[in-house]
Amino acid sequence: MPYKFRGGVHPNYMKAPEEPVVVVTPPPQVIVPMAQHIGAPCQPLVAVGDYVTMGQKIGDNPAPVSAPIHSPVSGKVVKIEPRPHPLGDMIMAVVIENDYQDTPCTDMAPLTEEQLKDPEAILARLREAGIVGMGGAMFPTAFKIRGGLGKVDTLIINGAECEPYLNGDHWTMKLHPEELLKGIELARIASGLDKAYYGIEKNKMDAIELLNSKNPAQYGVEIVPEEVKYPQGAEKMQIKAITNREVKPGGLPAGVGCNVISTQTAYAIYQACYLGIPCIERILTVGGSAVDKPHNLQCRIGTPFSYIAEHCGGFIKTPKKIVLGGPMMGLIATSLDAVNIKGTAGILFFTEEEDKTVENPTCIRCGKCITVCPMGLEPVYMYMYFKKGDFENMKKYHILDCFECGSCSYNCPGRMPLTHSFKTAKLLFAKKAADEKARAEAAAKEAENK
Amino acid sequence: MKAKEYTFDASYQPQVRTNTDTSRIMLDVIIALVPAMVVGVLMFGARALALLVISVASACFWEWGYRKLMKKPNSLGDLSACVTGILLVLCLPVGTPLWMPVVGTFFAIVIVKQLYGGIGKNFVNPALAGRAFMFFSWTSVMTKWAVPNFINGIDAETMATPLSILKEGSAMPEYFDFGNMFLGIMPGSIGEISTLALLVGGVYLLIRKVINWRIPVAFIGTVAILTVIFPRNGYSNVDWMLYNLLSGGLFLGAIFMATDYSSSPVTLNGQLLYGFGCGALTVLIRYFGGFPEGVSFAILIMNLCAWAIDKGTRGRQFGVTKEDLKAAKKAAKEAKA
Repeated sequence: MPYKFRGGVHPNYMKAPEEPVVVVTPPPQVIVPMAQHIGAPCQPLVAVGDYVTMGQKIGDNPAPVSAPIHSPVSGKVVKIEPRPHPLGDMIMAVVIENDYQDTPCTDMAPLTEEQLKDPEAILARLREAGIVGMGGAMFPTAFKIRGGLGKVDTLIINGAECEPYLNGDHWTMKLHPEELLKGIELARIASGLDKAYYGIEKNKMDAIELLNSKNPAQYGVEIVPEEVKYPQGAEKMQIKAITNREVKPGGLPAGVGCNVISTQTAYAIYQACYLGIPCIERILTVGGSAVDKPHNLQCRIGTPFSYIAEHCGGFIKTPKKIVLGGPMMGLIATSLDAVNIKGTAGILFFTEEEDKTVENPTCIRCGKCITVCPMGLEPVYMYMYFKKGDFENMKKYHILDCFECGSCSYNCPGRMPLTHSFKTAKLLFAKKAADEKARAEAAAKEAENK
Repeated sequence: MKAKEYTFDASYQPQVRTNTDTSRIMLDVIIALVPAMVVGVLMFGARALALLVISVASACFWEWGYRKLMKKPNSLGDLSACVTGILLVLCLPVGTPLWMPVVGTFFAIVIVKQLYGGIGKNFVNPALAGRAFMFFSWTSVMTKWAVPNFINGIDAETMATPLSILKEGSAMPEYFDFGNMFLGIMPGSIGEISTLALLVGGVYLLIRKVINWRIPVAFIGTVAILTVIFPRNGYSNVDWMLYNLLSGGLFLGAIFMATDYSSSPVTLNGQLLYGFGCGALTVLIRYFGGFPEGVSFAILIMNLCAWAIDKGTRGRQFGVTKEDLKAAKKAAKEAKA
C-alpha cells in the first residue's frame, strides 16, 4: 500500500483520456534549440548547408551535466541563429528544412543482448541518445543514474501524472506497456538494482491493469497504485508514497536513497537501447479552450507552437496564455514561434475563461493555504514576510523549501499570488547572496591593496 | 487570423484556481445561518426579522460608505459585511430597540474591521466586538429576555434564561427540558437558542470545508468535560453538563464566532489550543464571573492570543523529524555558548 502525504488539492482534472494520440506530420521547418536540458548548452556540430539525417547528432557539449541533441527530421540545415526558446529568451537553434524523407541515421545501432545487461553500456547509450527527464525537469538521465550509484537503493518511475489536462503518460502506458516495462528494466539494470517501483495514480486503472497483465515482475517492476491527489507526481511525494521516506529540506532524492524517473523518459530509454532511436519525439497533450480540438499529439521535437495549434483545429477563441506543462506548475511561453522541446509534456492554450485572477486579491487569513501545503509550510506568513521584505523571517518560515507546486495559490479564496511571490522571493535570496559575495570580494581586494 | 496578431499574458502560476472564492465562502456561512435565523424568527416573531433586516442593511451601508469615503475599492461583493450583520443580530435579545444595531454595526464594521484594513485584518471578531460594545453601553436592554412563542403560562413579558437560573443555583423549571432546549424553545439571544439549527449549519460548513472540526470540537468538548467533572449547585454531573451545553451562546460561538478566519489561529494545532482556551475561559467566566454567560468574552480574549498561538504552534515541516529539531536546537545552543 502506498503511503499518504499531508496536504494537496483536488483540482478539476479536465483530462480527456478518450482522445487518441494523433501522429503529427513534421512541419516543413523544424527549429531545434541547443538547450533542452539542465546543464551546459550544446554547441552545434553542423553548419548551414549540411544535409542531416533523422536522428543524427547535431549538437553536443563534453561537460558531464549535458545531453546531446539530435535532428528530428532529415533535411538541410538552413540557418543557425538564436530563436525564441519556449522558456523565454532567444537561444541558439539549428533550423532544418524538412525533406519529408525521414532518412534514418545509422550512427546508433540497437544494443546487443549482452549490452542490454551491462549497466555501463546502457548509461553510455543514455548519454549518447540525449535522454533527459521528460516530465519537465529535463535533467540528464545518465548523469542522474550515475550520480545515484551506490547511494540509491530504490528506483521509482513516476506515472502519477497529477497535473490537470496532461495525459501523455497515460497514453504511453496504454500504447506501449511492454516497451515501457522494458525501458524501466534498463533503468533498473543501469542503477544496479533488483527492483523498480512504478507509482501510478488510481485514476488510470485501465493502464494499471494493462501493465499488470504484462507480468511486470519478470522485468523487476512493481506497479504501485497511488492516491489521486495533486501533487502526487512531485518527486518528493512519489518518494514518500512508495518508501515513506521524506527528503530533507534542501536535500536531494539521492540523499534518502531514491531516484525518480518519469514515464516518458523510461519509454525513451527503451527506444534508445532497443531500437537505437535518440530522443527526437514525444507525446504531449494540447489543451485549453482556445483551440478547436484539444488532442494528444505524438510530435517531433522542434515543432513550432503555431503549427501545433493549427494541428488541433486552430484557434476558435483568442488565446491569452500559452502554458508549458500542466496548469499548476507549468511555465508560461509568450511566443507562438517557440517550439516544443524534450521536456514539453503539454501545451495549453488558455483564454480569458480559464483566468481567475482578480483586481484586488485579499487575504482573509482562512489558513486554507496551510492545510494544503505538502511541505508543511505556512504560506500565509511566508507571504506576509515577503511583502515586508523581511529576509530573516522569510528564512525562518522556510520560504526556500517551497517547491512551487501551486497548491496554496490554487486553494486561495482571496486569489493571492502566493506561489508567484515565493518564486520571486527565492530569486531575491539568490540576488542577495550574489551581492554579498561581490561585496565581500571587493572588501578583500581593498584590504589586499592596502 | 495570423499568429502574429496575438499577444500573450506572462502571468504567474498556477494557471488554474479553485472555484471557491471569498464570496462563495461567505455565502456558505449565510446559508449555514439560515436555520438559526428561521428558528429565531419563529420563536420571537416579526420583530426579530425587522432587527435582522436593519442590521444587515446598516452593516452593508457602513462597509460601502467607509470604503467610498476612503476611496478604497468596494468590498460589498465579498458578502462579509452581510455575515457580520447577521451574526450581530443573532447574539442580541429580541427586545433590542430597532435603531441599536445601526450603532452596533458601525462599531463592528468601521471601528473593528475597516480601520484595521478590512476583511482579514481585524484581530477580533467584528460581530462579537459590536455585541460587547452594545452590551456595556446598554446593559439593561441587553439582558432582558423576552418569552419566546411556544412557552405558555408565563405572565410576565420577560423571563430568566436557563443560564441565569444555573448561576443563581435555583431549580430548573419544568418547561426547560433538554428536548425543548435542543430545539430552541427557551429565552435567549435571537440566534443562539436552537442547538439543532446551529448544528445543521455547522455540519453544512464542515461539508463545504468552510471550517474544520478543530475549533468547534475543542471548544465544545472542553466545556463539556469541565462541566461534567465540576458540577455545581447540587445538579448531577450529566444534568449540569447538558444545561451548560444547551443554554447560552456556546454552539453559536463555537461554530460561527470562534471560527472567524481573521481572528483565529491558522495552524492546525493552534486551532485546537485556541478552542481549548475558549472552552476553559467560558467555563471560568460562567463559574466565577459577574455575568451568567461567558462565551463571547472568552472568544474575544482568545482572539487577542491568536497570533501568539500561531507562532507557538507551527506544524511539522516535510522531511523534518523530531530528532532533527532537537539536534538543531542543540547546535544553536552550542553555537551561542
